[in-house]
Amino acid sequence: MSRPAIANQPAVEPAFPFTAIVGQDEMKLCLLLNVIDPRIGGVLVMGHRGTGKSTTVRALAAVLPSITRVAGDPYNRAPEDIQEAPSTLPVNGRANGCAAGRPKTERIPVPVVDLPLGATEDRVCGTIDIEQALTRGVKAFEPGLLAQANRGFLYIDEVNLLDDHLVDVLLDVAASGWNVVEREGVSVRHPARFVLVGSGNPEEGDLRPQLLDRFGMHARITTITDAALRVEIVKRRRAFDADPFAFAAAWEKEQRALRNRITRAQKALAGVELPDEVLTRIAQVCMRLGIDGHRGELTLARAAAALAAFHHSPRVSWQDVVAVAPACLRHRLRRDPLETVDSDDRIERALQASAAEA
Amino acid sequence: MSISLTQRIQPPAALRFNEVVGLDVAKQALLFLAVDPSLAGVALAAPVGAGKSTLARAFAALLPDDAPFVELPLNVTEDRLIGGLDLEATLARGERVVEAGLLARAHGGVLYIDGLNLLDPGVAAHIMDAMARGVVHVERDGISAVHPARFRLIGAFDPSDGPVAGSLLDRIGLIIPFAPQGDAAIRAEVVRRNLRPAGAAETDEANDDAMLRALIELAREQLPQVAIRDEQMEALARLALSLGVEGNRADVFAVKAALASAALAGRADVSDADLEVAARLVLLPRATRSPQPAQVEQQPQPAPNLAPNPDHPADDPSNTPADQKQTPEQIEELLMSAVEADLPADLSNLPFATQRRGRTGSRGVALNDRRGRFVRAVPGPLRGHKIALLPTLLAAAPWQALRATAGDRLPDAVNHPAPVVRITREDIRVKRFRDKAGALFIFVVDASGSMALNRMREAKGATVRLLQNAYVHRDQVSLIAFRGRAAQVLLPPSQSVDRAKRELDVLPTGGGTPLASALWLAWQTVRQARSRGVEQATLVLMTDGRANVALDSAHPDSGEAGPEPAGADKEQIVRQVQQLARRIACDRINAVVIDTQAGYLSRGEARALAGYLNGRYVYLPNAKAHQIAEAI
Repeated sequence: MSRPAIANQPAVEPAFPFTAIVGQDEMKLCLLLNVIDPRIGGVLVMGHRGTGKSTTVRALAAVLPSITRVAGDPYNRAPEDIQEAPSTLPVNGRANGCAAGRPKTERIPVPVVDLPLGATEDRVCGTIDIEQALTRGVKAFEPGLLAQANRGFLYIDEVNLLDDHLVDVLLDVAASGWNVVEREGVSVRHPARFVLVGSGNPEEGDLRPQLLDRFGMHARITTITDAALRVEIVKRRRAFDADPFAFAAAWEKEQRALRNRITRAQKALAGVELPDEVLTRIAQVCMRLGIDGHRGELTLARAAAALAAFHHSPRVSWQDVVAVAPACLRHRLRRDPLETVDSDDRIERALQASAAEA
Repeated sequence: MSISLTQRIQPPAALRFNEVVGLDVAKQALLFLAVDPSLAGVALAAPVGAGKSTLARAFAALLPDDAPFVELPLNVTEDRLIGGLDLEATLARGERVVEAGLLARAHGGVLYIDGLNLLDPGVAAHIMDAMARGVVHVERDGISAVHPARFRLIGAFDPSDGPVAGSLLDRIGLIIPFAPQGDAAIRAEVVRRNLRPAGAAETDEANDDAMLRALIELAREQLPQVAIRDEQMEALARLALSLGVEGNRADVFAVKAALASAALAGRADVSDADLEVAARLVLLPRATRSPQPAQVEQQPQPAPNLAPNPDHPADDPSNTPADQKQTPEQIEELLMSAVEADLPADLSNLPFATQRRGRTGSRGVALNDRRGRFVRAVPGPLRGHKIALLPTLLAAAPWQALRATAGDRLPDAVNHPAPVVRITREDIRVKRFRDKAGALFIFVVDASGSMALNRMREAKGATVRLLQNAYVHRDQVSLIAFRGRAAQVLLPPSQSVDRAKRELDVLPTGGGTPLASALWLAWQTVRQARSRGVEQATLVLMTDGRANVALDSAHPDSGEAGPEPAGADKEQIVRQVQQLARRIACDRINAVVIDTQAGYLSRGEARALAGYLNGRYVYLPNAKAHQIAEAI
């Protein structure tokens, strides 16, 4: 047989450092706010090709703080989540780590899981461990990408090209927070709470409205037109391509500073006060824009609070709201085919009107 | 039964790199790619028989130590592309064995694709993903693996088959957007070389090859030493802006191409010639607009920038002789004047200008259960589907041992011996097809001066409504507008309603009514779409039907279609419209004519047009948008 065996896995090159990414501030802010408060509900990044969408998302992992999980738990569960065992089946040949008494714990980086296009449903949801079935005739559950992404981020590049049936699966799991697998007489149910991050080029196809609704924030990015910034992009890209390790090392200080800032903001978040008058105005803005349901208000309030925490501010100010409103609301406006006014302008006007009233 | 696709390319009969005649620009681009693989690839426009694949193979032979050459068939399935479980080896060894896909097999070598513009969007997405990350992630068949996949992509396409998807093309560093000119001398040389008896002149060209290989090797060593000045980089960035290049990726490619050019010349600094060739191979093909407007914009504000920045040259004084202190603006101007002549008069000949924002999304070619090209097998109920036999057996195979021990034998074990293969409902795999045969709606919108009177606003509104409808049904849409001298494709067949809407929003009106030109373009668009498998096509014409501009030399190849170029004589115009309309009707293209003319002005031209087209006629001023939608 002449099949080239692929034995050696490639050495893992560091990702391009998050802090070294030039421009695209809205996208970066949206991602960071979701790290600070995962309940914001994810980010959809839409924009021109070649503007660093996927580079930025993949760079996120390196600045995320760590979480505590039960040692070796394939579902990344925290000790307090473990009472409810997902299944009594062995996982990857090991007994499921939920024996009586205090489980051992470990710190792991917040997982950022890539969902590649063309991933099959069994890899996404998990399936029976083929190797064990083959070699020992044993039924063991092999967790999929959704298990890996629990308590972390699930990233889908070219989300608008994702197969419809996978979109259905994702919507299902994202809504319930649980993944249920029934296969070969195996029944497994495990938590799968993750921040959904999608990116794509709007010109290559639209997103299904149900999927669009799932995303808390919608960041828009465009080509950078400042020549000096563009030169800087080229320089950094070349330096990174020439020696990714050295480049990553050179940015480590900034990376660490950002990581610390995120950790502080996460801790401060619970104490951030949301004054009633700000909350009222948030509701007014959403009403003025005719946004259905309450997801708009909730997201906007959470994102503004996360921003306040990020700035070490004890309470949410109107400026915080204004800063995040376009990203929180622009994909929730009703689409009127004859509307020529840009959605950001409409949001801007609604914000001004609310500010004037107060 | 395994066919090796990773061949060593050194067959004695194959032509060598230098022997491939013509395609000189392509050769230069390939040399750059040989020197710096991070340029990602070369996309080459060339008609059938131009020697593309010969050149690609000859190129692979230049790469060091048996670089693989993988040719990607256009009908490749996802598992062949990405890789998957090698069941044979898995069963034999009792452990999972992952078989590499074509992308991983091209690692370190060349991935050659002929028909870049015919590639399935799903396949293109995987290729782009691999190019972006240098690895292939396999998440299928219970396998999770990462395979290295750094390859140099050589993609060829025949522009007459339609455009290459913008997102894919953008990831390919070097683009040669025009097919080479036919030249009798070159043609003769091609034939001569190919007729050469095997073995003759082998030695000379073998020496050439060795020399080229040495040259590439030297240039690769030189590359890290080549320096580029800030103002040179800025000039390239400015040129990109002036040409309306989308995204920031092109800047990086342009700088790398300039460096590779300098390295091949054995220089340690980048010359104007290096910048020029970089602009020609990277930026120019990505232009979306003519430079004039940008230059006008820049006039008012450059005052502070024009003065040479004292900080700039300080970065690298050794490479900045005093006489080379040019400002970025000066260098850009130099570059612009050098490459501007190559900018086609009609920008729509450039790949990114016509389809400024990519071609189809995969929604345009939805997966379905019955028709089209088989792309993958998915678990699912058998009812109403076609079973994918092999994938079903493969799915069942790993469980055989388990099921045998589990004792799930047939109840009547005496009359029915134990089955050879135990297949349960969960193993059943059914075929999913990618249907390229979705419907195509071509909106042909009259934007002539007379339309200003005739409810352009309503026409736009109705069009947008119909577009929304097309979105719901996952149809492809295309937008053609006609005004002035000739019609123009604003949006080639695509799925993006947003784009169509935006194009409509900015659609100016005024000028003559080149209806014949519009019909011609629409007909061409359908023919192209049909060559890609789109069967059903419907023209939606929004017009008052008052043609007053003849088909002219704007369509040089229109002669072959029948209507000969003519002056603007009224009868001629009407005849052209009739001929084209009948031809469209003969080609089984549905048509709806939406008459936008106010009743008191109408002389029934639009109704007559609907007659020639054998299509339906709707009178807009009375109709509500939803009524129009029903008519279609």
